[in-house]
Amino acid sequence: MTTERLRLKRFPAVHRLWHFGLIVLFMTMGVTGLAWMFIETAWGTWMAGWFGGYKGVLEWHRTSGLIFLAGFVSHILYMLTQVDWKHFPGSLLGPDTLVYQWVDVKGFFQHLLWIFGLGKAPRFDRWSWWEKFDYWAVWWGLIIVGVTGLMLYNPVLSSDYIPGWLLNIALWVHRIEAVLAMGHIFTIHFYVEHFRPTALPFNAAMFDGTISLKDAKHEHPEWVARLEREGRLQAALVPEPPVVMRILYFMGGYAIIALGLFLLIFSLLNVGALTLL
Amino acid sequence: MFVRLILWALGLTLWITVPVAAQTVPSAGSEVTSTGFYRDQDTLPGVYRLYQQQPKKLDWLWSTGPYQRGVRKSSFKKDVHIDVANYSPRRLCTDCHRDHSRDMHMTRVGITCVQCHRDKPIDGVYHYYSSMNPIRRHAYVCAKCHEGATPSFASYVVHEPNPLAAPTREDFPALYYATWFMVILAGGVFVIFIPYVVLWGVRELVDKLRGGPVHDN
Repeated sequence: MTTERLRLKRFPAVHRLWHFGLIVLFMTMGVTGLAWMFIETAWGTWMAGWFGGYKGVLEWHRTSGLIFLAGFVSHILYMLTQVDWKHFPGSLLGPDTLVYQWVDVKGFFQHLLWIFGLGKAPRFDRWSWWEKFDYWAVWWGLIIVGVTGLMLYNPVLSSDYIPGWLLNIALWVHRIEAVLAMGHIFTIHFYVEHFRPTALPFNAAMFDGTISLKDAKHEHPEWVARLEREGRLQAALVPEPPVVMRILYFMGGYAIIALGLFLLIFSLLNVGALTLL
Repeated sequence: MFVRLILWALGLTLWITVPVAAQTVPSAGSEVTSTGFYRDQDTLPGVYRLYQQQPKKLDWLWSTGPYQRGVRKSSFKKDVHIDVANYSPRRLCTDCHRDHSRDMHMTRVGITCVQCHRDKPIDGVYHYYSSMNPIRRHAYVCAKCHEGATPSFASYVVHEPNPLAAPTREDFPALYYATWFMVILAGGVFVIFIPYVVLWGVRELVDKLRGGPVHDN
């Protein structure tokens, strides 16, 4: 087996499992939420039909939302177990954490200069600024849709604790944040991770947990150099996943991308028929 | 002798009045549902801000809520349309109240106007005896579908104004500012990142054609 055929371990199984759960719940929430939002259109009614119609799709949305929030809480607890509390808070800083640091701000501006041909490509370590942005965007997005979603889950109960008119606001905040999340994932995230010239035809790192050494040297040169310096590179190299699994990841990934683009395109086509007030 | 006489009088009074009083007491069934008088279900002046001072600590919150510009005088009348020229009960409500025809209650659940505005003639929603009056709206209107509705719940604005329209800033400031904040946040993400990633893609393509990027050491 040559070095060229070896891949660098990037995501352990537990991280891929988090991402897989996120995909399943996010897409379920997206489909059921849009079906309910567009229920007055033929497209919305058709989608809601798969979930038992108007009431059914709302129940699916609510139940998935609760599971999503439970998953989010579990993730927070998991993250707390990953913190090196003995060296806290210093342990939050460093090249392997997802906490935003000064180096990320520098990385953003270096990247911007490179895009305009005004500087050389930045040498990202394990996580680039946009990967951290994608990670934390889920946090603030889930907090916003989660809090407003809980307020709307049982409006009669909620209005025991808050004025009922806050539900008018909660509904709009919930909608706009959900549209922002879906719009971001179905355009920017899909493009950056799968359709950029260097990512085409499909970046399976989040599915098989590996990245080719060549791509790693291109996308995260400082990470590869650090592993090499610390003598950990050889141990981090793993063989390519079986062909069957690669085909499965490719097909599964593209099925999700196709579903996202389907939701995006039909939402745009039907937006004129919406009754939002 | 005098005491005995008083006791006899009391007994006689009870013997006569109890059956009469019993006839005026509603049956158990009607007690459970309603006695038929609005005021039995009315709330004490509570969340209804026209009638009540809010606790000081919540003043700031309610000052951002709906109906900041006040309520039309006609909303306090028994017949809200009494001064409306050319009004006819045969006309459709939505002929004049066009902006109310796109409410979610109507378009999604199929609720018609008179299912909530049920008094005839249509009374002002702030008329004291109106079933839509906020002091009893929760019990007489909302609770028909939303079991357990409270006065607070009934402050949800069914005929919501356009949250992005300029008049909403005066009428319902919290809705206006919250919605604009979210629109700017969402719009900002797309306005910044879509051109960014397109240019990024172009740059990568150029680098790829040149044989790979040159990294900053």
